[in-house]
Amino acid sequence: MIKLHPTDSDLVDFVEGTLSPAKSLLVSAHCDMCNCCREKSEIFTEQLASKVFDEPEQSTSILSDFVNMFSEITEDEELASTNNNGILANPSNVLQQIIKNELRDSRNHPNLTKSDALYLDGRKFILPKTLIRFTDRLGEWSKLVGKLWQAQIDIGNGQLAQFIYMEKDGSIPEHTHKGNELTLVIDGEFSDGISQYDSGDYINLNSSHTHTPCTASEEGCLVFSVIDQPLYFTSGWAKLVNPLSNLYFKVNSGQSISISKS
Amino acid sequence: MLIGIPLDQKRNDTRQPKECSAEMSAHLDTVAKQRCKVSFSKVFSYFAPRLRSYALKQMGNEALAMELVQDTMSNVWQKAHLFNSEKGSPSTWIFTIARNIRFDMLRKLQNRKEDVCSDDLWPVLCEQTADTKTAPLDEQITLEQVGHYFDDLPVKQKKVIEAIYISGKSQQEVADELEIPLGTVKSRTRLALQRLKDMLKEHD
Repeated sequence: MIKLHPTDSDLVDFVEGTLSPAKSLLVSAHCDMCNCCREKSEIFTEQLASKVFDEPEQSTSILSDFVNMFSEITEDEELASTNNNGILANPSNVLQQIIKNELRDSRNHPNLTKSDALYLDGRKFILPKTLIRFTDRLGEWSKLVGKLWQAQIDIGNGQLAQFIYMEKDGSIPEHTHKGNELTLVIDGEFSDGISQYDSGDYINLNSSHTHTPCTASEEGCLVFSVIDQPLYFTSGWAKLVNPLSNLYFKVNSGQSISISKS
Repeated sequence: MLIGIPLDQKRNDTRQPKECSAEMSAHLDTVAKQRCKVSFSKVFSYFAPRLRSYALKQMGNEALAMELVQDTMSNVWQKAHLFNSEKGSPSTWIFTIARNIRFDMLRKLQNRKEDVCSDDLWPVLCEQTADTKTAPLDEQITLEQVGHYFDDLPVKQKKVIEAIYISGKSQQEVADELEIPLGTVKSRTRLALQRLKDMLKEHD
């Protein structure tokens, strides 16, 4: 049962295309898992569309531009009955090429090369549609302390997306965030001292939250998360790794990791 | 080139999208099946000016706005076969195409690389969904059959096919070279293969 959803205003921004790409990715993946948010998004899209097209057209002064545009768009279909430029010397070579290339293309076909699941710990995790499109950009899995595994996806623009897998009884040391941390639970359950989370939950945390995610479920837990700033560990031995926290959650080069003095 | 194709110039169509949804759906269907320019002109006359107002607000610049309108309407013309009236209204479909193009245009303007693109988030115009139902066109065509039909292709389609299949260029390279949108390259390729297939059928 999904308890945590993006806000309506996030959904509107998402379908309008004004939400940040990273956040859009999470919202889109959440909608893959959540019927209610998917339906809402569809309704919001319809509403936006009618708002955009409701306004009656006003000016006719730019009409010549439209006439030109119309012919440019449709002229593709003009037959080459009189123009024989570019005749091919040997059409059957062309076809051989076509077939060869189509075969090559079909090997590159996203549905064939991109995996729709992640295999971890002897288990298969089915991914939301949106995230399947990114599996070919997935980096190597690396093992961290505390029964944690992490694999990163570079989504550009200084933002980092990652899959994090917590084995049973795995935990992330208590930390807070300098920026925002968005997390989508792909499969499994975990708790963090603030709340209990389940598959499909969309978790939006910022610098006002300090938490210690851990999972006690037999199955472990796979989450997908996007952070725009490194985590800051707040307690115990983990404080020691703050200067090294880029080992845990690397940010793009050029950004330095600053150490808080608290 | 526009002879005989009326672009409703005089009449200001003040209807709201809901009121002409069925009519526009029918036009899109005719565009998809018959490449009918008259039907497309109806869709174009209604949506292009409205899209321009939206685009001006979004892009804040006449040239970019018109680019957005042209890319959108060009996709409507070329991808009309992907419109499904059971899934939503024409205005919603066209809005989502414009929204996607706008999203990618802004990314490009901001020089973002390796980023999330609109297809990742909203696969409105993904051919795969339509194409998986039928066997790939090339599998249905044999080598000897096609040879002499190739010359009957429209020049523009032939150019794209040559660049991709003879020179081995990627669709993106062809788009950059000919200075046309990637979507246009894709649809020209598709149309060319479709046309070859149709020609083969006629001569069977």
